[in-house]
Amino acid sequence: MRRGLTALLVSGVFVLTSGVAIAHHSFAMFDQENPIELEGSVQEFKYTSPHTFILLQVKEKDGSTTVWNLEGGAPSNLVRDGWSSKSLKPGDEIRLMVEPLRSGAPGGAWNASKIKFKTGEPIVKN
Amino acid sequence: MLRRYSIGLIALAAALGAAIASAHAQDEPKYPDWSGKWRVIGGNRWDPTKPAGRGQQPPLTPEYQAIFEASLADQQAGGPGNDMRFSCLPPGMPRMMTVIFPMEFIFSPKITYILFENLMPRRIYTDGREWPTEVDPAFAGYSIGHWVDEDRDGRFDVLEIETRNMKGPRSFEPSGLPLHRDDQTVVKERIYLDKANAGSLLNEITTTDNALTRLWTVTKKYRRDDSPFWFDNNCNENNPHILIGKETYFLSADGYLMPAKKGQAPPDLRYFNQPRKQ
Repeated sequence: MRRGLTALLVSGVFVLTSGVAIAHHSFAMFDQENPIELEGSVQEFKYTSPHTFILLQVKEKDGSTTVWNLEGGAPSNLVRDGWSSKSLKPGDEIRLMVEPLRSGAPGGAWNASKIKFKTGEPIVKN
Repeated sequence: MLRRYSIGLIALAAALGAAIASAHAQDEPKYPDWSGKWRVIGGNRWDPTKPAGRGQQPPLTPEYQAIFEASLADQQAGGPGNDMRFSCLPPGMPRMMTVIFPMEFIFSPKITYILFENLMPRRIYTDGREWPTEVDPAFAGYSIGHWVDEDRDGRFDVLEIETRNMKGPRSFEPSGLPLHRDDQTVVKERIYLDKANAGSLLNEITTTDNALTRLWTVTKKYRRDDSPFWFDNNCNENNPHILIGKETYFLSADGYLMPAKKGQAPPDLRYFNQPRKQ
């Protein structure tokens, strides 16, 4: 479910730091000035190059489900923060900040510093 | 019989000695210790001391400043601008020396190789050759270098490189900061260890390009990365950014095209479902 940035700031769940992790190409297709919060169930975690992807099942208000395609950092960079291909598995319930596609289509970018399990637990314990 | 064994042992020892001598050629004390993985400090900006985009204050000609502004405007709308890296096109020189993913140096007397986790290697010819007259251009260009022993202690300190013969399109950084389309760029580098920190490598990069009003020198700093892992980093493995004509799209979770820009039209499908004329 998409939530506004205002609600997020009030909740204080995440620390608003830099945008998407250092990338080899422009992330201009993602609206970095207007991030949103998503909650959902991991359908698949693609630990691939050049970037990782989370396919996230998000329940809409009408009961339907939308699968978001969410681009993250490179494995080569995430591994330094303790990530691996096993950090997320199908069915994991997560909450994360997303910089959405400017078009409004269900795609976006995520940052490893702004993602947690729905319980509040960090994905990676350092 | 015994004599035959002795001759064999002597031959084996000689062969092993030659192999060991060869193996040690890489470790000759005249080369500096640049072993290990190196990656950039300062992110993907061209001049790491300044903000990306206009903050770089690039010395562009009026014509190329206008091209840069158009790139920034396109990116503000969700397009790639002049940054073609999203399509997996190589960054080419000099941008590849931003080193977002790690690099490694291999020295030999005639060539220094720079291996990148995600790109084709650079070959720096240090055998004293002249510039070739008939070589097709390459994104990484053609590089000739030489080693310098600045402090005259018998060991090289600095690798000086000149690179020409690039092809485009290329840009300095993800903001689409352009190089000239004539591809007459000349890049000069001076790479050396930070004397105050052997875990830090410096690269002074000076670019001459017809998009610029003057030489542009920046200094990249790389840090030694102790991680033993190298990733199989192939840009085409999972790239959802799709270029069709002049428009870019993004793949959905189930593999269909989605618009990247607000209000973006679908691609032109004029060649689909056409009746055969013959």
